[in-house]
Amino acid sequence: MILTDGPTQTPTPSAARQPSLFDRLTGRGRAPRTDHAVVVLHDVTKRYPNGREALKDVDLVVPEGDFVFLVGPSGAGKSTLMKLLIRDELATHGDVVIDGYDLARIKRRQVARIRRKIGIVFQDFKLLPRKSVFENVAFALEVTGTPRRQIKPAVERVLALVGLTAQADQIPTQLSGGEQQRTAIARALVHDPRIIIADEPTGNLDPVISWEIIQLLLRINELGVTILMATHQAEVVTALRKRVVALEDGRIIRDETSATYHRED
Amino acid sequence: MIAFVLFSMGRAWQGFWRNALMSLAATLTMVLMLLLLAGFFILQNVLLASLSFVEQKVEVVAYVENTATQDQVDGLIARIDAMPETASVEFITRDAALERFREAQLAQGREDLTKYLESNPLYASLNVRLSAPTDLDVVAEALRSDQLVRNVLNIEALVERVTTVTGVVRTAGVAMVAIVGVIVLFIIVNTIRLAVVARAEEIEIMRLVGASDAFIRWPFVFEGAFVGLAGALITLGLLVLAVDPLSAAMVGFFNVLPLQLGTLGRDTAAIVLATGLGLGVLGSWVSVRTYLIR
Repeated sequence: MILTDGPTQTPTPSAARQPSLFDRLTGRGRAPRTDHAVVVLHDVTKRYPNGREALKDVDLVVPEGDFVFLVGPSGAGKSTLMKLLIRDELATHGDVVIDGYDLARIKRRQVARIRRKIGIVFQDFKLLPRKSVFENVAFALEVTGTPRRQIKPAVERVLALVGLTAQADQIPTQLSGGEQQRTAIARALVHDPRIIIADEPTGNLDPVISWEIIQLLLRINELGVTILMATHQAEVVTALRKRVVALEDGRIIRDETSATYHRED
Repeated sequence: MIAFVLFSMGRAWQGFWRNALMSLAATLTMVLMLLLLAGFFILQNVLLASLSFVEQKVEVVAYVENTATQDQVDGLIARIDAMPETASVEFITRDAALERFREAQLAQGREDLTKYLESNPLYASLNVRLSAPTDLDVVAEALRSDQLVRNVLNIEALVERVTTVTGVVRTAGVAMVAIVGVIVLFIIVNTIRLAVVARAEEIEIMRLVGASDAFIRWPFVFEGAFVGLAGALITLGLLVLAVDPLSAAMVGFFNVLPLQLGTLGRDTAAIVLATGLGLGVLGSWVSVRTYLIR
């Protein structure tokens, strides 16, 4: 049983101590490093038990602080890629390395701790309907054994960051879609993650609200958090001129910086 | 550690009340299943007690020669009583036998014809109770080989039938309780699984935000224990309420069959508590396992 977090084992490449998100928010600490890869996929193949190959020979390196769009038609392997990153699935071949940890080699009990380095945002928000905004965000800390007195200030800080301080006591059904997604982003941020993985975060939102969410993710990225965002919205990708990784049939067919995206599907 | 247990119990308590409907349904199922189990357990014990009562009724009757002196009879009683297979020996004198016969006739409302007899035609007898009905042969043989004994009432065939029947009924009773036990196990575990599945999304979120297995599992295990404990206590409460009216109704029956049920109440309480708590914990443990880190 993991009861509390012991001292983190020093992983091979990422011994460098990062200033926390909140240090960066408040201007303390150093500027974010960008020379260190937080996500490394090397020659990754994922074959499901039914024989379908969802990913084939995928190589991908994401340096810390990057903003990456993951594009491609449905069934191209985007979801599988994200599942590999949070170790929901294991790669059939190849290495998946998150922040220096080879996910195939870590012990079961370390999985939970690695997941706290990754904040996940979904298209359907995945909020608990009977908890308030505050409780939804606090939930992420409670279930990972954070001492009670640390929870309130941490939650208040992320709620301020996403602009939901006024809505803290409302329950999800009282919120707009954009506010619900911002709650989900706050929850993803509350563990002070290295990476945010966003799976179609604006898929359920109208264009104006989508832009608000994108702006929020950009701000978080500027604070040094690496962002990996899967999306179908070509206009967003094209407008931002960020790195674009395009998947098709389980292979990376394009990986360009400052790129555009035209939907063909 | 203590903090973790308190945390888990707190979350379990929260989970129980926030999903009150599901918890109520699970507790209710638990109560019904435990009542079923307790009912069959009690029935099985009453059955066993009745069977041993019937088996105690098995007696070997040996008629004693009229020529035997009191000393000789005393010697015979002592010899038979010393056998390990013997539970007790009763000597019925000829006069006592006649008296019993008269009483029996009277009880059946028949005319007493014994007054027309010139002398007592009945023999004195030894009525030997056995420790176990299967020991009949040994005791009957010892009596037959004794010179003082005129003859031994032949009840071997009857006793064999009785022991066959009681054996079958015993086995059937055990099988019945075992089957009911398995049914109760599956229904309770499945009910708790339903309660856990209803919260799959909550568990999913816990995993995604990096909750460790222990933090996901133990609150649910404690919640299962709550449901089990609540179910067991409600069941015991209902049983206690039912005891008085039931035993009042059974007084007539128990007068006929003076059963030995000394520790039944305690045993039933122990079984209900252990089953409720055990299955509550087991049910949540196996149900949550599905959702833990693969």
